[in-house]
Amino acid sequence: MATPRTSRIQAANGLTGQQAAIAPPTLWDPVVRLSHWGIAAAVVLNALINEGGSLAHVSIGWAAMALLLMRLVWGVLGPSEARFSAFPPNPRTALAHLRGMLRGEKPRGYPSHNPAGAIMVYAFWVVLVVVIGTGLVMTGGATPMQVAADKAAVASGDWSALIKDDGEKRDDPSGFGKGAEDVHEIAANLLLILAALHIAGVFVEGRLMRRSLVAPMLLGAKPGAKTTRRK
Amino acid sequence: MTVMRADVTDSRPDAPASKGVRRARKGRIAPRDAARHQTAALSAFLVVQSLGTVFFVGDVIGDLRKDPTSVHFIFEATVTVALVLGLLFGAFALRRTIEFLRSQEAALDVARGALSDVIARQFQAWALTPAERDVGFLALKGLDVAEIAELRGAAHGTVRAQLTRIYSKAGVSGRAQFAAFFVEDLLGEGVASAS
Repeated sequence: MATPRTSRIQAANGLTGQQAAIAPPTLWDPVVRLSHWGIAAAVVLNALINEGGSLAHVSIGWAAMALLLMRLVWGVLGPSEARFSAFPPNPRTALAHLRGMLRGEKPRGYPSHNPAGAIMVYAFWVVLVVVIGTGLVMTGGATPMQVAADKAAVASGDWSALIKDDGEKRDDPSGFGKGAEDVHEIAANLLLILAALHIAGVFVEGRLMRRSLVAPMLLGAKPGAKTTRRK
Repeated sequence: MTVMRADVTDSRPDAPASKGVRRARKGRIAPRDAARHQTAALSAFLVVQSLGTVFFVGDVIGDLRKDPTSVHFIFEATVTVALVLGLLFGAFALRRTIEFLRSQEAALDVARGALSDVIARQFQAWALTPAERDVGFLALKGLDVAEIAELRGAAHGTVRAQLTRIYSKAGVSGRAQFAAFFVEDLLGEGVASAS
């Protein structure tokens, strides 16, 4: 043991650093996980359960906007595998990755999302921005607090809130509001299709790589699963 | 080395089977768990903060369209700018915390791996049989004869005999010297003689 301890640790650190560079994280950081499941829940709730235009629908939409913005900030400020630079959108490598999967090859490791997964992430974000943006146009940018106040006013017999709404619509001869409504609906359905593709991709990739892609997004690998790494 | 593998599993902080081993260090917090809880709490806080910020920004934009010169708007806009800045700084601090905890964990893993490599090589040099190596590892982890016997499904007498053989092969007087054999290198400094 002639070598100083620190230099040995540094040498070994370099080794583990290389190993980490070719494998996706065994556990995503909490911000990524919270935004992932939060937005997933918001999409399911708003698309399938609650009524469009209701206070719950608008509130959940705003919460999804907050989570999306937080994730985008995290894409610049977050740890390496959460940053945009770790998974640049590249359709060519994504297609190559998908072709490899179709041939049943075991995919190689990536430090973050694989190229196809990265495209899926950006597609989700673009469609989410469209859904949230059109939603804001439809409500006139009213915050959930204002929506609640308007609804309370209408409930107490003051219909002026509705008249104001109508007035805005009459000011809009180009049918911009109606267009936003159509786009909102189409984009929301597109979100559900993307979600189905995403789940299928996670399943196939997990089978080919013989590792769970779901566990890192939940609570990490179960205790004992790591033992295979050691001799 | 089946027992050794089980042993690695047991050393994880969340494995219930490791109670026997951890009893000896009561009061010590598993660092990994603490780190996880800390980052999870910070992240949950960040989520709540982003929710609040987005609602506030929406409200301020609404006010801006109504009357941008009102005291109400100016005050709320200032508060909202502070919120946004706080959110950005919070995110940055959280990133720093996560990276710091990861580097610590990596260093700990390296140290752990290095020590178990040293032990494995030394066991080989002493020509311990596979069964003796398992018993030796468990003894180094601080398990007593009864616990080792229970883990290996062996009789107490067998384990005791194996330990005796390990000590004689290693040329140490007993368990204390056996454990000290590996700790000594890490301590580095010599012992001042009494004379």
